[in-house]
Amino acid sequence: MHPAKQKHTFEPKIIAFVCTWCTYAGADLAGTSRMQYPSNVRVLKFPCTGRIDPVFILKAFQQGADGVLVSGCHPGDCHYIAGNFHARRRFAVFRKLLEFVGVDLNRLQFSWVSAAEGGKWVEVVTDLTEKVRNMGPMTEFKELATEEQWSGAINTPELKEAFNAI
Amino acid sequence: MQKYISQQNLNTLLDTLIASGTRVVAPRMNAGTPLYEPLTSSAEMVMDQLPRRSAKEAYFPVCEDIMTYEKEGQKVSISDIDPARFPETVLVGVRPCDACAIPVLDAVFSWDYKDEFFLERRRKTTIVGLACTIADDACFCTAVGLSPADTKGSDLFLTPLEGGGYACESYSDKGEALINNHNSLFNDPNSAASLPLAQPYMEKFDLKKVKAWLDEHFEDPSWDAIALRCVGCGACAFVCPACHCFDIVDEGTEKAGKRRKNWDACGFWKFTHHASGHNPRNQQPKRYRNRIMHKFKYYDDKFGQTLCTGCGRCIRVCPVGIDIAQIVEEISKKLE
Amino acid sequence: MTSTLIDTTIYAAISEAIQQEAKRILTDGQVSTIVGYAAARRKGSAQPMIITDAADADKLIFTPACVNDLVVYLTKAKKDIPKKGKIGIVVKGCDLKALTGLIGESQLKREELYLIGVPCAGVLASTFAPSQDLTEESIAPKCTECDAHLPTGCDFVPTETPLTPELEKKYAVEIARLEALTPAERWAYWKEQFSKCIKCYACRQVCPFCFCEQCLCDRNKPQMVETTPRPAGNTAWHIVRAMHLAGRCAGCAECERVCPMDIPLNLLNRKMAKELKELYDHEAGFEVLEKGPLTMFNEKDDQSFIK
Repeated sequence: MHPAKQKHTFEPKIIAFVCTWCTYAGADLAGTSRMQYPSNVRVLKFPCTGRIDPVFILKAFQQGADGVLVSGCHPGDCHYIAGNFHARRRFAVFRKLLEFVGVDLNRLQFSWVSAAEGGKWVEVVTDLTEKVRNMGPMTEFKELATEEQWSGAINTPELKEAFNAI
Repeated sequence: MQKYISQQNLNTLLDTLIASGTRVVAPRMNAGTPLYEPLTSSAEMVMDQLPRRSAKEAYFPVCEDIMTYEKEGQKVSISDIDPARFPETVLVGVRPCDACAIPVLDAVFSWDYKDEFFLERRRKTTIVGLACTIADDACFCTAVGLSPADTKGSDLFLTPLEGGGYACESYSDKGEALINNHNSLFNDPNSAASLPLAQPYMEKFDLKKVKAWLDEHFEDPSWDAIALRCVGCGACAFVCPACHCFDIVDEGTEKAGKRRKNWDACGFWKFTHHASGHNPRNQQPKRYRNRIMHKFKYYDDKFGQTLCTGCGRCIRVCPVGIDIAQIVEEISKKLE
Repeated sequence: MTSTLIDTTIYAAISEAIQQEAKRILTDGQVSTIVGYAAARRKGSAQPMIITDAADADKLIFTPACVNDLVVYLTKAKKDIPKKGKIGIVVKGCDLKALTGLIGESQLKREELYLIGVPCAGVLASTFAPSQDLTEESIAPKCTECDAHLPTGCDFVPTETPLTPELEKKYAVEIARLEALTPAERWAYWKEQFSKCIKCYACRQVCPFCFCEQCLCDRNKPQMVETTPRPAGNTAWHIVRAMHLAGRCAGCAECERVCPMDIPLNLLNRKMAKELKELYDHEAGFEVLEKGPLTMFNEKDDQSFIK
């Protein structure tokens, strides 16, 4: 078997938490305009970025996301008036916490994308996908998930292999 | 069988066991905290500190998987954990307050249901106890009828000697086997005197009197005074060598997951919270009362043993200074 | 080599002043209950004590072992503490900051409290036995950064003034050290620390700001944080808790003190406090705020990190 054929190219998993009224509409516009962009992104629709709990970002990384994007309306344009202002403060603080714990912030991107900015959506997603592709898979949380307290650890080399294959 | 082993030979013994693939668990420093943990070399072992957690982890893990599931389409496959996979373990440097709790736990884990997770780990573990030469004012093993040189629960017991090294004596087949398999490292008994033993501070409790009071005073206003300040964490139960409550949780996704057995504590408000919303122990003093009752009455009623070895860990870690030794001493005086 | 002793000679006079004041306000019915400190069995140790009888006022003390933040007993999380009438409480400067924050969050009413402030030079670190002297080495790390040695705004404060030598700010130094590492090195540091965690929740139970009727991490519909004490679940727990405390925690450092595994939890909280100061010029605990920094916003908030 040729070594080249055995190589698996890494396809990053990007999770995008977006608001319904601006970014989701902008992404939709990109779609209807037939703009091409990497299909690595999985979009989760929220009414507003103000609804996005920082714990969702944490969960995304824990469940295997290699990169996370959070995107919403420009300040002043929020459908619910002030949701994105609250989100702005919340995420300014949360990213500092993640950074302090050792998460590389290059994997976490925030953006304002309006309903008319199909092009910006494409740009933001493509940038993050390529950046994360170059960084490689996010191993920190995945490795953490395989660790047990020494007292619960048992001799299971096969289970570890099976986990890595997921 | 009585023997002598020098410190150096003890280190060699541990390194030999480690090299042969046996898991050697002993007190070692983990990020500044002394804990019973697997060693990678005998040099890691610390002999002069009481580990912050007890040795019960070796057969009653902090958390362990008891089942795994996988779902592919409509097909669900469930796998049990094979107890044959529990590693062979030698526990070294176990203090009497930790070792004496082990036979006590045997009773409940082989009672109406034989808990193989506990029992198989027990079968695969050899315990090398170590006598204590230092104690602080939280230690009270002597108050509950034990001592800093108690050999109960140990397969092999080490007593530090003047001039270095340890007198060692085997108390079970496992202990004898350990000596026989490494005969060259053990010498004939040495005539040196043992180092002076630790002198824990408290006088012996009259446990019969304590139980007699507990039998009659389930509803007593003094429980409020004793435990109103308890904040309801699980620190005391988790560091205790004898506490053994656990919680079963299922954690995972729709595709795959595990059923886990995790430590639990009667101090948590949710411990007796029913699905209906009713909580029979809906106040903190009631929850703390259960702790005392379990240790000094219920376990005696069921198994004829006390569920406390006087290690003092709960006293040291309690955020609000609840002192079980003081509480039990006061109770023992109430019926005078 | 002995470490420099911190002067605690005023503590005896403070204890007496507290006892007299406590006796006075209980006798004339100004308060129904007083939450303070009393001596415990172990040499030099102290424990929280709740008294309702003026005769018990003599049991109240103030020593370097009076480490607890008693404010936690006033919160709604501690339902079993009798809260009828006015409650007297002994507070150090750090405890008072937590109390101030709680008033701002509508959890406490100032008029229902009688505050007995204590001038404090410092208390012992958790890694030292209570019988130890208070020295530069044995003092709690939070005390090295204290700016509230003399509590203000209380109903009664003994007249003594604490002597507080200038000490190296332990948290600031450690935070700077960690910030200078690479993300991978920081991850390794916290992974090692969080691996020790056994989810005893002592940190949550002593925190005055963890008063939620049901903690997010106790819910399983949905389950946002694993309850199992594995490194993964532990990391998630501590991140979530630090985020929920951001802007509210004033650094009483009880979480760090009570952790049975010596995890430096207050580092996370102090780092968050530093960020909130830099981002929004916010410092918790100095004044009663109607809105916390994360429940309000400014049109001009920093958004340099947003594309």
